[in-house]
Amino acid sequence: MAKAKLASVWLEACAGCHMSFLDIDERIVGLLEKVELTSTPITDIKVIPEVDVGVIEGALGNEEELHIAKELREKCKILIAWGDCAVFGGINCMRNFMPAEEVLREGFVDTVSTVNPEGVIPRVDVPALLPQAIPVDRAVKVDVYVPGCPPDADTIYYIFSEILEGRIPTVPTDVMRYD
Amino acid sequence: MSEITLVIDGVECRGEKGDTILEVARKNDIYIPTLCWMEGLTPIGSCRMCVVEVEKNPKLLTACTTPAVQDMRVSTKTEKLKKYRLQILELLFAGRNHFCMFCSQSGDCELQRLAIEHGMDNVRYPFLYESFHNDATDPHIQIDHNRCILCLRCIRVCAEKVGAHTLDLEQRGWGTNIVADLGKKLGESDTCITCGACAQVCPTGTITLRDFVYRGRRNDCDDIVESICPLCSLGCRIKAWVRTGSVVRVEGLSGTSADGGQLCQRGRWELPKSTERDRVTVPMIRTGSTFREASWDEALTLAASKMKGALESGKAAALLSELSTDEELTVMSSFFRDTLKMDKVDGYYGNMLRGFVDGFRPFADQGIRPFTAAHNIASSDAIVLLDANPQEEAPVAASYIRVSTILERAKLVNISTVKNPFEGITDVDIRTTEKEMEDLIRTLRQGVEGQDVPEKLKEAAELLKNAQKPVIVIGSSLASYPSIVTEAVNLAVASGAFFEDGLGVVPMLRASNSLGALNTVTGTKDWLTDSDLDFLYVLSTGMVDEDKRALEAMSRARFVVVHTPFMSHPLVNMADVLLPAPAWYERSGHYCTLEGERRRMNMIVPPKGNVKGLSVIMKDLAAKLGHELAQASAAPCENIYASTAEPVAARTVSMKEEG
Repeated sequence: MAKAKLASVWLEACAGCHMSFLDIDERIVGLLEKVELTSTPITDIKVIPEVDVGVIEGALGNEEELHIAKELREKCKILIAWGDCAVFGGINCMRNFMPAEEVLREGFVDTVSTVNPEGVIPRVDVPALLPQAIPVDRAVKVDVYVPGCPPDADTIYYIFSEILEGRIPTVPTDVMRYD
Repeated sequence: MSEITLVIDGVECRGEKGDTILEVARKNDIYIPTLCWMEGLTPIGSCRMCVVEVEKNPKLLTACTTPAVQDMRVSTKTEKLKKYRLQILELLFAGRNHFCMFCSQSGDCELQRLAIEHGMDNVRYPFLYESFHNDATDPHIQIDHNRCILCLRCIRVCAEKVGAHTLDLEQRGWGTNIVADLGKKLGESDTCITCGACAQVCPTGTITLRDFVYRGRRNDCDDIVESICPLCSLGCRIKAWVRTGSVVRVEGLSGTSADGGQLCQRGRWELPKSTERDRVTVPMIRTGSTFREASWDEALTLAASKMKGALESGKAAALLSELSTDEELTVMSSFFRDTLKMDKVDGYYGNMLRGFVDGFRPFADQGIRPFTAAHNIASSDAIVLLDANPQEEAPVAASYIRVSTILERAKLVNISTVKNPFEGITDVDIRTTEKEMEDLIRTLRQGVEGQDVPEKLKEAAELLKNAQKPVIVIGSSLASYPSIVTEAVNLAVASGAFFEDGLGVVPMLRASNSLGALNTVTGTKDWLTDSDLDFLYVLSTGMVDEDKRALEAMSRARFVVVHTPFMSHPLVNMADVLLPAPAWYERSGHYCTLEGERRRMNMIVPPKGNVKGLSVIMKDLAAKLGHELAQASAAPCENIYASTAEPVAARTVSMKEEG
C-alpha cells in the first residue's frame, strides 16, 4: 500500500502544535511507516506537493498566509485546522479589537522599546496585513477541527490514526480543550 | 405540598407542585445543562441552555422557569435540543472575547465546560470582535466586560443575597453591559461592600478577584476544605481551595443555605491574607530588648516559675481570646479555673459579654432563649437597630437587613447615638443619646403595648404593633448598659418577636465564639482595668487588635506570656515569653455561632513552626506547677440559654422594681 502523503504549514501561530505533535514520541516511528511527511516545518521542504492530508497550524493574518491556505486547500483531500489559532483565531485575534493600521503603529512605532524616530512601517517586500486575523475556515473549507492550545499529542495521534483508517474524525469531548 | 409525577426522558419522576422542570429533573438525577441558572437565585431563563421539549407543545421551553405539571412528558436530550444548545454556545463565543488561551478562568469556566461537553470544535458564526472596557478600578475585584455573557448571576446575587444591588445593566442589545451604581466604575461605587459574591457566581472570566487569579484552577488544587470563618459572631461557612500549601480561593458554601453562600470582605480575603503574615514559629524568651529562641521546656519552665509565686499572692491572671474553639476554651477553663482555681480569668470581650448576660438574665431565668439565629433577620418584617452597625460588627447580618428591607419590604427602624448605617432604606430614624436610650426604648415598648407615645416614636410604635415577626438588633456598644439590653428584650417581647428558637433579638456579639466562652473563660467581673499583676498569660489569635485596656494591663503586669500565631505588634512587644500557636486556619474544633448552630472548623492548612497542642502545653505547665490537669467542670455552649419554655410565654420585666 502506498503511503499517505501529509503536508503541514505553520502560519500565524507559535509552532506549539507542531511541538505537541512531536510529543507523540516513539509512536512517530509507526506513523511514519504509513505516512510520508512532505512539506512541513519539520522536514523544511518549502514546496507543497499534491497530498492526501493538509494540516494548518495558525490563523490567517496576512496575504501570504491566506495564499498558502488556499494553495494547501487545493492540493489536499482532507484539510485539518489544527490548534486554537486555526480553529478560532486564537491569540492573534487580540489585534482584531482595533484597526490593522493601529496594530502596525503599535508594533513598529508606539511600543516603548522600539527605536524608530522616522516612524517607518515596513510595507515593501513583506506581505500586507489582513484587516483582521481570521480562523482558517473563514477563507477555505475545513474538514476536521482540532481545537486546543496546543491539542494534546494523544489527540493529534488519534486524529491522524482515524484519518489513516479512512474515517473523518471529530475530537472526542473528553480530550477536547481550548487552552 | 402535593406531589406530582411526570415523565422526563422516559423516566417517571416525582416532584412537588410548584417545582420547575429543572428542579424535578435535578431531584431525579437527570442532567439538564444550565448557564444563567444558579441554585438559590431567581431563575430568569435568559441563556436558554436549559431548553427542553414538552409533548404537545410546539415551543421549546426553558426548564429553569417552566413549572412542572402533573403527567407532563419532557425530553431533555433530543438531537434538536443538542443542535440549539450548540448554536447558543457558538453565538456566545462569537459575541465577545471568549478566547480561552488568554483567560485567567480557563479550566474553571462554565461556558468553556459546556462548549466542550457539547463537542463545539469550531464556531460557525463570524466573531464580532467588539471591544468592551475592562474595569480595573476596584482594588480587589476586576470586571472584564469582554468576557461577559450577560447571565446576570452577579446582578442577582448582589441584589438577592447581599442586598447591595450595586450591579445592574446599562444599554440594550449588543451594547448591554453590567454596570455599578447607575453608570459608575466599580471602584467608585458607594454601595459595593467588596464582598466578592459577584466573582464567586461568575461563570466565565468576567468578574475575577485579583488575589485568586492565576494561583491555580480548582482542578489543580490539592485540597478543598469546608470550614468556618471565625472573624465575627456569625461563623459563616467557607470553602477554601488549597494548592501547594497555600490558600488560593475562598468561597461561601451553598446558595440554598440561610446566608445564600455569601461571605463578607473579611471572610473572603482575611484567610489568604493571613497566610502571608509573619509568624511566631518557636518559643522565645526576652533578653533585654530582644528575644532569643528557646525550647518549649525552657520557656514553660520559666513561665511556671514566675506563675508559681504569682499564684500564691493571687496576682496571676489569664486573658483569653473568644475566637478560640470550644475545645481550646475547655482546656483553658480546666487549667485556669478547675486546676489552678484562679479567679482572674477573662476574655478580651469580657465586659461586653457580661453586659449582655446581665441584660438577658431576667429572660434566661424564665427559661427563655433571649435571642434568635441571625439569619432570621432575613425572614423578619420589621427590624429595629439599637446602636448597631452590622456592616462593622457582623457584615453578613447587614446583608440580611438589606435583603429583608429592600426585597421583602420589611420596615427598618434605626435608633442610634451615631449616624444611621442604613441611610436611605430606613423607615424611621431616631437619634438619641446613651443616657436617654433606655427611657426611649421603654417608652417605645409602652407605645407598642398601647399607651400614648411622643410624636417622634409614634410611627415606630405603630409599625412594631403591626409587625408579625420583628427583630431587635442590639449593637455591641450597648452591652455597657445591661438595663438597656433588658429593655431591648422587653421591646421584643412586647412586639411579639417570637421565633422558634427564641426571642427576636440579635445581639452583635463580635467574637465568633462568644457563646462558647460564656461559661468557660468569661470572668464574673472586670479585673483587667485596674489590675496589679505579677503574671499574665495571654492567648491571642492575632486576628483582632488588642484594645488599649488589654495592652495597658499587659504593660503593667510584671511577667507576660503571649501565646499567639502572628508577629502582631504591639502585642508581641509585651511578651516576656512568646509561645507559637497555630493560626485559626490551622486548627480544628467547634464554634457556638450566632447563627444558632454549633459549627465545625476544619484545619485548612497544617500548622507552621514548632507548635504544640494547647492541651499538651497546659498539661506540661500544670505538671511544672505540681498539679495534674483537672477535668473541665464547664462545657462550652452546652445548656447556655437552652430554652425550657416557649418564647411566646416570655414576660416583660420592669427594671425599676428590680432596683
